[in-house]
Amino acid sequence: MRFFQPIKQIGYSRTLAETRTHFPISPGLIAINQPEITEGYAAVFDMPFPPKFDDINKIEYDLAWILPEDKMDKYHSSKFQLTEQPFYPPFADESFIVSDFENYIDRFLSSPKLDTAIFTLLISQINNPRFKEIMDTECSLYILSGLTSLFNNQRRITETLVQLREMLSPDIALYAPGPISPSLYSFLVYMGIDFFDNSFAHYVSKNGYFLTEDQVYRQSIHPKCYCPHCTGPEPNLFKHNEMVTKNTLSRIRYSIERGIFRAQVEKDVHNNVSFAAALKRVDTHFNENLRRRTPMISSSPVRCIGEESFDRPLITEFRERVRERYKPDPNSNLVILLPCSARKPYSFSRTHKFFHKAMRNAGKGVFKSLTELIITSPLSVVPHELEDIYPVKYYDIPVSGEWSEKEIKVTAELLNNVLSHFPKDTVIVNHTHGGGYEDIVEKIRTTSSFDIRNTAKDASPTSEKSLQQLTDTLIEIQQTKEKDEQKGISSKVRKIQAVADFEYGLGSGEILFPYSVRIKGKYPRDQHIYLDKEHIATYVTRSGYLSLFPKYANLILSKTENILEFGAERVSGSNIYAPGVVYANKRIQPNDEIFIVHENQIIATATALVSGSDMNKMTSGIVAEVKKKVRSKK
Amino acid sequence: MKINKNFAEKINRIREAELPSRSHTRKVVFWEEDTRLLSEQGKALVFILPTRGCSWALSKSGGCSICGYVYDNPQQPDFTLILSSFQKILKNKLNKEFTYSVKIFTSGSFLDTKEVPEEFQLKMLEELSQYEVIKEVVVESRPEYIKDSLLKNISKKIDMSILEIAIGLESSSNSILMNSINKGFFWEDFEKAASKIKENGARVKAYLLFKPPFVSEYDSMRDMLLSVTKIVSLGIDTISINAISIHRGTFLSQLFEKNEYRTPWLWSLLYLCKEIKEQYPDLRLICDIVAGGNVKGAHNCGECDQHVIKVIKEFTMSQDIGVLNKEISCSCKYEWKSNLIHEKLSISEPVIQRNVL
Repeated sequence: MRFFQPIKQIGYSRTLAETRTHFPISPGLIAINQPEITEGYAAVFDMPFPPKFDDINKIEYDLAWILPEDKMDKYHSSKFQLTEQPFYPPFADESFIVSDFENYIDRFLSSPKLDTAIFTLLISQINNPRFKEIMDTECSLYILSGLTSLFNNQRRITETLVQLREMLSPDIALYAPGPISPSLYSFLVYMGIDFFDNSFAHYVSKNGYFLTEDQVYRQSIHPKCYCPHCTGPEPNLFKHNEMVTKNTLSRIRYSIERGIFRAQVEKDVHNNVSFAAALKRVDTHFNENLRRRTPMISSSPVRCIGEESFDRPLITEFRERVRERYKPDPNSNLVILLPCSARKPYSFSRTHKFFHKAMRNAGKGVFKSLTELIITSPLSVVPHELEDIYPVKYYDIPVSGEWSEKEIKVTAELLNNVLSHFPKDTVIVNHTHGGGYEDIVEKIRTTSSFDIRNTAKDASPTSEKSLQQLTDTLIEIQQTKEKDEQKGISSKVRKIQAVADFEYGLGSGEILFPYSVRIKGKYPRDQHIYLDKEHIATYVTRSGYLSLFPKYANLILSKTENILEFGAERVSGSNIYAPGVVYANKRIQPNDEIFIVHENQIIATATALVSGSDMNKMTSGIVAEVKKKVRSKK
Repeated sequence: MKINKNFAEKINRIREAELPSRSHTRKVVFWEEDTRLLSEQGKALVFILPTRGCSWALSKSGGCSICGYVYDNPQQPDFTLILSSFQKILKNKLNKEFTYSVKIFTSGSFLDTKEVPEEFQLKMLEELSQYEVIKEVVVESRPEYIKDSLLKNISKKIDMSILEIAIGLESSSNSILMNSINKGFFWEDFEKAASKIKENGARVKAYLLFKPPFVSEYDSMRDMLLSVTKIVSLGIDTISINAISIHRGTFLSQLFEKNEYRTPWLWSLLYLCKEIKEQYPDLRLICDIVAGGNVKGAHNCGECDQHVIKVIKEFTMSQDIGVLNKEISCSCKYEWKSNLIHEKLSISEPVIQRNVL
């Protein structure tokens, strides 16, 4: 059993907790020698310094975890050991490093207690085939030697860290030793580094540095600091820097816990040119790797401040699901393009209320065949049915009205894709105004043959003139269309169908929720969905997603990818443990509602803790928390 | 196998590229300096003989990873000339008012008959035995050239009790000798050579190398302490700790240029002197610092370097531990500590400033 249990995941960053007590430890700070105050540290190295004659035969150094004392008897262990290390460092010649590293692996594998032994991984040897033997053991903590040498090479640092994290189980922690500026922590944590040490704080000397959370200053010239270590009679630079280091990691832990870590990374990478480039590189080349590890079901604010937000995995995953899983109402042959609003959900905003009023003025029947698509950055295209889900209900952007080339291109592509599901005779009413929107619609015009009509070309969409034009245009369109006698679908049912498709997979909505379902409960309370008086699902207002009863979910077994094949007939207890996992679908993202399947029958629903691919790598610990179980037959 | 084949090949490639740059002939180089004799301070007359150089460095194994002395040796030595200048210098320089230690260095092994023909070895030692002011004679040799027959011949020419044979052991760890220095011999060879020297009545001096490549400074400190313990247990009473300095044209200099090696801290040397002298008060402990205060030699932050070097020199001369007990403070001590632990944890990766800010 490994020492760590991942309890949160965003990208490659995880909150790791002690496995038995779930006491959170990482991302954390390691003290390289006994500090005055252990508070704020994750662990302390016991390394005599400087070494004395008494220490010459010492080959084992303890790393003591700082854990609350009241649960002392419950911990898996409280100390790790660093014993031997390879002789050659990562930068030595390949010709003599390989056999030395392999000898080290042999020696390491013969250590008596691998679950508390610390392995030294040379950054240049991650491709060594024998390294796999270490990954298969219970060893839980690796010292990553040679990482800082890659800091100036954004290509290599991203490729190396991605490769490592794709190989390693999420319950294996990586420790990057040595002086690393706290301003780099958030990117490194996002890429899967779990521990740093306080050597940077020690690194300050007469020629040293003064830290703030986002910058490093020369000690001779830095902003005045009013912390107790700087204002006392004897200012202590070490203590100040130590405090900043601890605070930086505390802030990182907090934002992982709250689900807002990615926004912090986007902000923090601006402290360093090569790291800003590195994040772009990860987003471009490894976006899918991060998306699979990013929770989609959440209720944290989504602040999109910089250009990095456009490629944020959460956002790209949204676009991907709209592309793959959104199918409009088959009766719809009228599309209206609307701008977004600051207030969410959109329909609560003043502007959208105006739009709806203008639409109603064209006659109630208009809604039967109409689909609203909101054009917005960075989400690109939001079908109205999905306005209540995360991240749509929670995102925030600085609105300048300026669209970048890339935003225009991506949005037009997605819009084109969505529109391709509509019948050829569909009329598109463009009720947006301004340069960027015009460019997008222009691209649609050149690539499709839809009849596109502008209703806000000359004035703002909320101006009287535009609203009147919208009403008039809709009336005109209705007159030309054939009268459709079919009864329209309730917009409420249509909405939960779209959410189900988005959450579980295309086609799920239609199967799960025929028109005869009844929806009880009023916003903002959760809504209960009944079919033939049976409670089959709940719509959770906070996140905007559904939660199904396991028995009923069997209907969509062939449609959904949120599947974990389980090795036993019944789930006991309230957790799904790694050894029970036969196979977890790689599309599973943390926080997803997943279906625990045994012999093609769903036996429980659960909330995923980590991504599907990471579940498959784990050999111990909890991979998901059970929501509901099928009652046993007898 | 006392060598790591791949490592030796790499060193030999570097050596072969550099060796042709040697000049053909050289003069005998000498100088006078203050030194620590066994029980007193005195003068040292140091000779560097222009022999063809260390046979190990010239061999196919490439020699030691850290040593570039061989590039200063000429390709065609002239021993008649060497002997006559040696005799002339002794005559002119020795002053009756002082006591002397004469050190004959070759940048190789004096006792290697391929390097210095036996005939000349004996003539030079015989010459030295003529002078009463000479209380100590120091020659250097690798263990493989220390042969009983040769020592017997030498003992006919000079009083063995004033002869000290210095062996560059560098470390008592065979792994360091093989994988870091490419020394070509092991601790056991040193042990055997040392006992031969003692059986023949001469004294042994051991050189230890502080911070060879790929060994973190922390581990090298432990290695120094361990090596001292092992050497002392053989009954050897003189140990010289040599802090590394970067020689051009070596494996180490290439590491250094790629920012993959940091020369040791003076704090470490200061600490080692103190810790060792406290444990072994009777040991003659010499700490030699070449290029001190320079990035290519042992150095601290730049501000405290000269002061620390002065203290270590004073200690080496006086052998008085009191000199070391005076607290020296400088804020770079923190940096020293964190550097050493970082190097230890990441094996021997030096801290490069541009990488961490």
